[in-house]
Amino acid sequence: MNRVILAERLVPNIFRLVVEAPEIARSARPGQFVIVIPDEKGERVPISLADWDEDQGTIDLIFLNLGVSTRKLARFKAGDSIQAVAGPLGRPAEIGNFGQVLLVGGCYGLAGFYPLARELKQKGNKVTFLAEGRDEAFIFWEEKIRKVVDGYLKVLKADCFASGDELGKIIRQLKNNNPELSRVVVMGCSYLLFIVSKITRELNLKTMVNLNPIMVDGTGMCGACRVTVNGQTYFACVDGPEFDGHGVDWAEYFNRRKAFLRQEEQALSSYLNKTLD
Amino acid sequence: MSKDDILEPGLKEKLSRQREQEWRKALRRDVSVRKRLESQRHKMPEQPPARRAANFLEVNLGYSLEMAREEAQRCLDCSDPGCVSGCPVAIDIPTFIKYIESGEIALALATLRETNGLPAICGRVCPQEVQCEKNCNLIKAGKEPVAIGHLERFAADYVRCNDQTVNESACGQAKGEKIAVVGSGPAGLTAAADLARLGYQVTVFEGLHLPGGVLTYGIPEFRLPRSILNQEIDFIRSLGVEIKTNFLVGRTATLTDLSQAGYRAFFVGTGAGLPSFMNIPGENLLGVFSANEYLTRVNLMKAFKFPEYDTPVPVVKKAAVIGGGNVAMDAVRTALRLGAKEATIYYRRSRVEMPARVEEVKHAEEEGIKFNFLTVPSRYLGDEKGRLKGLVLQRLTLGEPDASGRRRPVPVPGSEFEVEAELAVVAIGQSPNPLLIRQVEGLKLGRWGNIEADPVTMATSLEGIYAGGDAVRGGATVILAMGDGRRAARAIDQWLRKC
Ligand SMILES: Cc1cc2nc3c(=O)[nH]c(=O)nc-3n(C[C@H](O)[C@H](O)[C@H](O)COP(=O)(O)OP(=O)(O)OC[C@H]3O[C@@H](n4cnc5c(N)ncnc54)[C@H](O)[C@@H]3O)c2cc1C
Ligand SMILES: Cc1cc2nc3c(=O)[nH]c(=O)nc-3n(C[C@H](O)[C@H](O)[C@H](O)COP(=O)(O)OP(=O)(O)OC[C@H]3O[C@@H](n4cnc5c(N)ncnc54)[C@H](O)[C@@H]3O)c2cc1C
Ligand code: SF4
Ligand code: FES
Repeated sequence: MNRVILAERLVPNIFRLVVEAPEIARSARPGQFVIVIPDEKGERVPISLADWDEDQGTIDLIFLNLGVSTRKLARFKAGDSIQAVAGPLGRPAEIGNFGQVLLVGGCYGLAGFYPLARELKQKGNKVTFLAEGRDEAFIFWEEKIRKVVDGYLKVLKADCFASGDELGKIIRQLKNNNPELSRVVVMGCSYLLFIVSKITRELNLKTMVNLNPIMVDGTGMCGACRVTVNGQTYFACVDGPEFDGHGVDWAEYFNRRKAFLRQEEQALSSYLNKTLD
Repeated sequence: MSKDDILEPGLKEKLSRQREQEWRKALRRDVSVRKRLESQRHKMPEQPPARRAANFLEVNLGYSLEMAREEAQRCLDCSDPGCVSGCPVAIDIPTFIKYIESGEIALALATLRETNGLPAICGRVCPQEVQCEKNCNLIKAGKEPVAIGHLERFAADYVRCNDQTVNESACGQAKGEKIAVVGSGPAGLTAAADLARLGYQVTVFEGLHLPGGVLTYGIPEFRLPRSILNQEIDFIRSLGVEIKTNFLVGRTATLTDLSQAGYRAFFVGTGAGLPSFMNIPGENLLGVFSANEYLTRVNLMKAFKFPEYDTPVPVVKKAAVIGGGNVAMDAVRTALRLGAKEATIYYRRSRVEMPARVEEVKHAEEEGIKFNFLTVPSRYLGDEKGRLKGLVLQRLTLGEPDASGRRRPVPVPGSEFEVEAELAVVAIGQSPNPLLIRQVEGLKLGRWGNIEADPVTMATSLEGIYAGGDAVRGGATVILAMGDGRRAARAIDQWLRKC
């Protein structure tokens, strides 16, 4: 059991929980995630480590209110206990001297990138953050991230395709104006990962994406999370979640994420019926 | 030091000392060998196949006290008990059986517990037909062997159900030294229990949210009810063992961290959890699962109770399972219980080579599982939505024996055929979990990424680190894992006393 220290709604559909997990806070590295089990009957949900505080022994979880599991999490209040939190899991993100790095974050990636931004900066990289969201009301942690990056840009579009065009424009511009820009990292919804990879491929600009396939154990023993990258199958929970965006088999990736769509909808409606009672 | 000596120093003498006790002599006198040889082996009562194929309740129902005592009477109490030499942990089988015969079930269980920390489990999942029962002297007399596994299970269940407590033999003096056990499968739990008995402070670290290893996430309820497993685990906790779940060593903390936190010795029982795939086209289609994923969803996450539980599992009409071991049997019988109209095993060798327990194969057949031998998938077929709709299979024949001594299957040219299936479960084997063991510098690994350990002491190439179970052996058995845990516990104790 892990106690919730703080629970807040950041924007209409995104929540933040600060949770006691001293051992995880001690070992966490940027790019890693935890598996959260909301309650006794809950599933094992992967959530990125958006921040941690070793002294306080806490971790920050930021999540989009989507299906049953994230809705259950959204109901937690300070003082409640979560069934289980395990981690940190996954390989830490690669942190090197890249010159300039562009981080593109949308959805939970608006915050999930905070630790990576901080450490890339500490290593002496120039870090630009590009935030993607529906409108200003869906952007959060801007102030917090601005403190650790060199530039903070926003793409605010309600429509995915328009947002893709705009992202393309900005990334091309950045690349033209900053020859030392050598690396892009993306975190957020699958479409964002895909579209940014597509844009940067044309620019021949190395891009790492944080894949979020369906997971079960998160420790490498089931293969639910398998993804194909450059023709080879990997288990995202132990070999990733950071992968070369230009090598990802996107058709397979999108498809595998839909494995349980029908059951997820069934679970959600049965959960909503229960909670409305 | 011989293997037997570290396992049970003076085993032979102990067996004959027990056998010469007055009550044993009296039992032997009371019933003649001829009479003992007359009665037939008691069949295990079980749920009828049609009913059990639709539920997750245990298939075997267990002996009654009367049946158990009658079965125990079949045992001749041999002076040279073959059964014991067939048991990987050298349980004093005749003693526990004779206690059952005389109705002293709690004493029978105490005898089992001296050498086996998990009797209710081993009685259910050990391949007795190739171990103790295979060596039972009754076979030489042209009889079926004593049902040792059923009796072992009976003793554990009877004592539990009748709330008789077993007095744990006196613990060693509290030594205070902290020992870390990584992994809570049968290897880790056994090592932990033995070390706790020797007086050490033991913490078991388990990456998943529930302890038990394969016993929890792999073996289904219909073979091993969770209430039984939980009771065994509670018993181990009652010895003073602390079990820390959600703690993945190598990620949550490294072995170095733990050693700095004061752990003096380590036992690594991280199992063989890495599922193998065949790397054939279509393997990442929706509907193709590793056995580990399929069984974990159902057993660990209780997907068979979806949507009461949140984790889903596909429910299909036609299920195909690739493999012929216990894992494959568990997967195919699970698919049947989840509602498959047709659940089929595709195995690349023939029936006699199937490594599954004989009882599981028999049960599967009774339940209506189909078997297709000498076939192997060459490709999976998907529909336009990327969902599995069938398999292309190839026929094989058996050629020359391979390294394992079994005849190697070779493809028959032009023999490909198609079958329909919306679910395929790949149960072709697992290899050791690489996460922790690849990370430990200087830890010597074997050819399959398994940890190399001394077969007697289970010591690894690094001082103070011991290992056992599937992490060392690759996919093996519960009892072998337990035996490793037991030997490692003794060796750790000897090592700590020296330094
Ligand atoms: C390594 C990793 C890190 C992750 N980190 C985070 C994180 O920090 N924060 C976070 O919020 N999530 C994160 N995710 C994703 C998160 O795990 C899933 O969103 C989560 O499992 C959702 O569970 P659920 O039960 O709430 O929704 P589910 O029941 O699994 O399904 C979602 C529901 O929404 C629908 N749906 C599915 N996908 C989409 C989509 N893309 N857009 C709209 N609707 C959809 C489905 O139809 C279904 O009804 C991460 C995933 C991975 C693998
Ligand atoms: C489906 C199935 C059916 C089987 N049926 C039978 C049977 O009928 N009879 C039989 O004798 N054998 C059977 N076996 C084999 C038997 O279960 C195994 O040989 C046995 O469980 C091995 O025990 P172990 O303790 O070595 O490892 P495991 O039982 O695999 O346990 C290892 C544990 O370590 C944990 N772990 C791994 N890495 C870490 C880490 N870094 N930190 C913390 N924890 C970690 C894992 O989560 C796991 O819980 C079956 C196996 C399967 C998969
Ligand atoms: S070999 Fe068979 S008959 Fe002899 S002691 Fe063992 S179980 Fe009894
Ligand atoms: S989630 Fe099971 S292997 Fe990655």
